Amino acid sequence: MVVMLNGYVETLMMTLSQYFFVVLTAPLYSGILAKLKAMIESRRGPSIFQPYRDIWKFLRKETLIPRGSGFIFRYGPYVIFGIYSLIALIVPILVPVPIFFTASADFLGGAILFSLAAFIKIASSLESGSNFMSLGAVRTASFIFLSEGTLITVFFAVSLITKTNNPYVTNNFLSANPFQSLTLEHIFATLAFFMLFFYETGKLPLESPGLAELGMIEEGMNYEYSGRLLAINKWSGHMKQYILGSILLNVFLFPWFLQSSFPYFLLDIPIMFLKWMLLIVIVAVIETTLAKMRLFRILDYLATAFTFSILFLAFGVLLG
Amino acid sequence: MNAIENIVFLSAALATVSGFYIQAQEYIRSMVRGQFIQSILIAATIFVLAYAESSIDLVVLGLLVLVLRGYLITELLERRIPGKGSDLREKEIGIASHLLLDLVFIMIGTFIIYSLVFSGINFSIAGNISGGTILVFPLALFFQGLFLIGSRNTTFSQITGYIEEENSLVLFAIFLIPVPLIIEASVFLDVLALVVISSIVVLEKFTHNPLEELRG
Repeated sequence: MVVMLNGYVETLMMTLSQYFFVVLTAPLYSGILAKLKAMIESRRGPSIFQPYRDIWKFLRKETLIPRGSGFIFRYGPYVIFGIYSLIALIVPILVPVPIFFTASADFLGGAILFSLAAFIKIASSLESGSNFMSLGAVRTASFIFLSEGTLITVFFAVSLITKTNNPYVTNNFLSANPFQSLTLEHIFATLAFFMLFFYETGKLPLESPGLAELGMIEEGMNYEYSGRLLAINKWSGHMKQYILGSILLNVFLFPWFLQSSFPYFLLDIPIMFLKWMLLIVIVAVIETTLAKMRLFRILDYLATAFTFSILFLAFGVLLG
Repeated sequence: MNAIENIVFLSAALATVSGFYIQAQEYIRSMVRGQFIQSILIAATIFVLAYAESSIDLVVLGLLVLVLRGYLITELLERRIPGKGSDLREKEIGIASHLLLDLVFIMIGTFIIYSLVFSGINFSIAGNISGGTILVFPLALFFQGLFLIGSRNTTFSQITGYIEEENSLVLFAIFLIPVPLIIEASVFLDVLALVVISSIVVLEKFTHNPLEELRG
């Protein structure tokens, strides 16, 4: 009984650690990335804590709701935040062993949750009645059929390699068998997911990070949001970036070094920080060296990612 | 799968991926340079095989591919690009749709041909029998070349598609034939034919539309 209770407490602590780690540190990585980009561009740049200040500022401001908008517009940001919170407990972001809620979904379930969040965001944007938000929603809908397809096929590819669709088992399998990371399916699935990570987090040099209407996609869907709802949306965006980046690191690119035993799992916090620093450097270099391209090129980019993911998924089946 | 096999599979796969790169190019010069990269990748595959098999014939073949396909054809094609060269491009190409159609085409083509004809063939690298699965890559490359010819109008694109098919045949043959003397001969003849044909055809017309040469 005491052993069971100890196990329960340990799992609870791991669950809480993972959840609060994601929620509380996700904006920090966005801040570090913005700072590093500024340094590469010979600018002073904002503080690495600027995303926290923005969220705090928005939380204190008045929330304005456009006339005619419905309940999806009002409550959508909370639901999306909840969905990303659930995904944060499904995938191995900090602790490489199953925790509470891990059994809620597998890889495919995670992908469907990402799609659900995107759907709710589009629905809430269309409900606002704003042309700018509709523009962002339409653009997202135009591109999402390829990005979600890539996400699902990439997860299929990983499932084929590791013979499981449980992300924790995948992480353990790849950690224990480093040569599996050199298989064709894994290399090209990693490449496809890396391209997807760039698109999903708005890092493409095709997309404007601000409110310039010619290039806005994600920001367009935040256009009419203000106050607390905008803060929640921004926070969800940071969480989404962190979750996708951590999947990229722990399942595809660099699954090693995570500690699973209690209380050594706390060492995973600095380990994940170092892994993220590596990813941030790669992202910053790519983001600042690529020339800006036209918006509709996103389809070409996503088609390439989709091609990589499905080609080597199919070859994986053919190659046995 | 050992390290050598992994490298051979990877380089053959990259040669197939380079086919997608060529397919996605609008600019003629980029397309020709894509063909250069593809030839380099095939030469690299041959050199790795030469190392694994300790075969001097394969080294010679690798050098021939490198010099003739990699350098000579690229140089000759680039010189034939009219005008400023780097500015010349094929307009109104839907890259995303072309890539997806190419993917569907090569998947269906490769699956049918491989399943019906090549699934029982065994191939060995440095004494390790690894089945005929590696033949999937040259097959995919062949269908990519075919799709490039079918999907583009410019003579340069069609010649590049033809070179891609030739590259796939070289890749195909080095996995099947122990001593590739016949390939060396074919490389010489292909290069000769390509240079002559491309010199005449490119000068004559820049674009070729379907069946226009067959109209009375």
